[in-house]
Amino acid sequence: MHELTAANRLLEAALEAASERNAGRIDRLTVELGTATHLTADQLRFCLDAITEGTAAAEATVEFDRVEPAGACECGWSGPTEPIDGVVPDAPSLRCPDCGRRLSLRAGRECRLSAIEIPERTETEQ
Amino acid sequence: MRHAPKRGVDATLRNAVEPILSAVRAHRFGHGEGGSAPSDGEAEADVLAAVEREAAAVHKRLARDGGVFAAEFLGATGSGKTALVEALLDRRPDGERAAVIAGDVAGDDDATRYRSHGVPVVDVTTGTDCHLDPARVGRAIDELDLGGLDRLFVENVGNMVCPADFPLGASLRVVVVSVTEGDDVVRKHPLVFQACDLVVINKTDIAGAVGADVARMREDARAIAPETPVVATSAETGAGIDRLRRLLDRGPESHGDGYDHDHDHGSGANRADERRR
Ligand SMILES: Nc1nc2c(ncn2[C@@H]2O[C@H](COP(=O)(O)OP(=O)(O)OP(=O)(O)O)[C@@H](O)[C@H]2O)c(=O)[nH]1
Ligand SMILES: [Mg+2]
Ligand SMILES: [Zn+2]
Repeated sequence: MHELTAANRLLEAALEAASERNAGRIDRLTVELGTATHLTADQLRFCLDAITEGTAAAEATVEFDRVEPAGACECGWSGPTEPIDGVVPDAPSLRCPDCGRRLSLRAGRECRLSAIEIPERTETEQ
Repeated sequence: MRHAPKRGVDATLRNAVEPILSAVRAHRFGHGEGGSAPSDGEAEADVLAAVEREAAAVHKRLARDGGVFAAEFLGATGSGKTALVEALLDRRPDGERAAVIAGDVAGDDDATRYRSHGVPVVDVTTGTDCHLDPARVGRAIDELDLGGLDRLFVENVGNMVCPADFPLGASLRVVVVSVTEGDDVVRKHPLVFQACDLVVINKTDIAGAVGADVARMREDARAIAPETPVVATSAETGAGIDRLRRLLDRGPESHGDGYDHDHDHGSGANRADERRR
């Protein structure tokens, strides 16, 4: 499963951010996760739990923000997409409700570390 | 604390770190502004966007530096990816120089089949991984003489799920399903069809025997991936192979604009370049 690949990259970004600020501990990771990907929050959490062991993020709470798909069309239409009728794993309809052309997805495909929480600064920096 | 940082196209994961952190320490942002709708020209420095940037780098090596048109074939195990690429190799125009990168979880059966067509083949065994990734394709390309090539076929590991999230840097992504997977196979895997530029429904010669409705599969593909061409083929009888070849030659122009910059291909941003070949 490629959740592990994704989890490794998220952790790497978080650890780097923390160490650049001399934070020895990360208390929380917030991840924005689009629903139009094959990555699932449960499996990402599972992988993160496993790989954070022994790192500054070992005790971190992991929080996911679900991002629903949204699209935009050349004709000027933009907005949240509808699910496709009768398709079982949810997928965004990429047909423009106004003109019928193909939409481009503007949201729903993210897997992004959007925030980390670290302890308050104790000594003076910069 | 939640915050949707805006960054330039070239932002790397590393660059993403600073805005994330300063957001934490400087401010608690509301979860406003849709949170996640970057405007034109901006790429998210997130995990999947990072993969797309890696794919774009592979694409640049192939298309721009090497002048090689690469087509990735992905899809269900046993759907006929190898058989179709073999049929295309057999029909390649005189003088066209082709090569194949063959991805597989184990073994070299496909690579051996490809070698029998007299083309250079790089065998990539992914082991426990369920898909190729841009880094592996990049290393495989190192073994090829790009200057001496016109066309590259990349066969991904048989899998209808994971490859959707991992573009490799090919100019065109081709998803292959066959009637033997059942005629609901398209609607069961919508995201992979949305991630590809061309849909192939293979083994039409035995559609009747397995009771599959090819028209329904076509309809599903149209509904799920509007404007993506669909071609029904049989690697066994040769039906549809010439049309497939023509669609490959035409290149990925079917989606039109606006689809490019944030699409799942990684190669999307460079599509205009491909049309000239
Ligand atoms: N009847 C029929 N059989 C086909 C057709 N295409 C492929 N096959 C057969 O289907 C089987 C699988 O074909 P492959 O080309 O190996 O499929 P693949 O997608 O490369 O399989 P993996 O690499 O294992 O994922 C082989 O026995 C082929 O001979 C077709 O159009 N019609
Ligand atoms: Mg094969
Ligand atoms: Zn429209």
